[in-house]
Amino acid sequence: VAVWDVLGKRTPDDEWAVVGGIKAPDAEMALILAKETHFRHKEGVGYAVRRRGEDELHVGSYAPEVLGGVTDRSYRRQEAYTGVGGKHKRLAQEMAQRGLAVDRPRPPVGRMAPGLRVSPASVEAENAAEVPTEEEIASQGTAG
Amino acid sequence: MTYEERAAEFKGRIDAGEKIEAGDWMPDEYRLSALKFIEMHANSEVMGALPEREWIPRAPNLKRKLSLTAKVQDEVGHGQILYRVAEDLGKSREQMFDDLVNGRTKFHNVFHYPTYTWGDVAVIGWLIDGAALVNQKALLDASYMPYVRAMRRICPEESLHLRHGEELVLELVSGTPDQRQMFQDAVDRWWRPIMHFFGPPSKKRDMLIYWRIKTRSNESLRSEFFSTYVPKLWDVGITVPDENLAWNEELRDWDWSDPGWEDFWETIRGNGPMTSIRLAYRKAMWDTHAWVREVFAGIPEAA
Repeated sequence: VAVWDVLGKRTPDDEWAVVGGIKAPDAEMALILAKETHFRHKEGVGYAVRRRGEDELHVGSYAPEVLGGVTDRSYRRQEAYTGVGGKHKRLAQEMAQRGLAVDRPRPPVGRMAPGLRVSPASVEAENAAEVPTEEEIASQGTAG
Repeated sequence: MTYEERAAEFKGRIDAGEKIEAGDWMPDEYRLSALKFIEMHANSEVMGALPEREWIPRAPNLKRKLSLTAKVQDEVGHGQILYRVAEDLGKSREQMFDDLVNGRTKFHNVFHYPTYTWGDVAVIGWLIDGAALVNQKALLDASYMPYVRAMRRICPEESLHLRHGEELVLELVSGTPDQRQMFQDAVDRWWRPIMHFFGPPSKKRDMLIYWRIKTRSNESLRSEFFSTYVPKLWDVGITVPDENLAWNEELRDWDWSDPGWEDFWETIRGNGPMTSIRLAYRKAMWDTHAWVREVFAGIPEAA
């Protein structure tokens, strides 16, 4: 099955940019899969596929206003949850007034714990040919 | 140029912050490490959909059913995107899925546990998705550019899931005493798996950081999780089952209790409480849907 690059435009003035890839037997199916995989949540105004190794661009036919669907699927988008942060703050005030909030040492607002990025050059690698085992890989905190 | 010289040059690109594309030359160790890492991530997206999928029929109302269904679809979609990225590193999607359902490769420890109540759904939706987002935002700066593009696609959706989860939590903690207790019980149940989520203390020789496939230590990620979520839990009167958990102003970091790692490694090895059941489900789906893959692979030319 052929590999297709998926391209998109966030705004009408943007150039096409690669956003990912899919596998499909032909351009028609590639466009369907590209739309469902990469443009389901109104991520852009246009989409296209290009068979890997070829130049021809196959542009999706959905107009910007309908790409991502026209039925009410607001529960799939951020705007459906506007106000959640405010509700959390109001509830926190209420809990504090009722004496239910937990009063323990915590970082000052806006201060994160130290030590963010780690330079790859700082890692000791006595044997750069080492490849992590399946279990070591699975012990990392990368999850869905 | 010898292999070693090319590998050293490649490592120089990594250290300089350059991005690697799928078509670039790369050392076998980099390719294999990136493949394994992204494959495990894809496996975890697909397996991570199962604990929540179990609650779609039991969601308390239509709005929750719709949003949970959409979330499960998103997670499986993330798996599809990531398997595609991994395929370019030299392993077919079919082989990756076959390895997953037959236990040859692994998925994340946090998805090996049962869900008992709607409170568990709230914990997964807020705290576990929150932990995942802490990790995945750090991966936006990884060295393998196709993975970065995938994370640019995935992180906004995870951010949406987080809001969804936070809304579920607020609904429970502002509800009846029974609802509050349901959420508190779920936090108590999940706290240890969440502490395990970020993995054991990082090794000094972490090859994933060496190749900048990941960009931060397990400690730093766990600490950010504490700073972001623990105060919010405390604010709404929810405790966590760790008496030692507190911000240490002197160290400017968190004190916490080591959760112990024996059962963590057992879970990783495939001996978690729900491992065999969830893998059996995935295997059954894989087997019964083989015809779809066959149709896709062999669509005949029109007569």
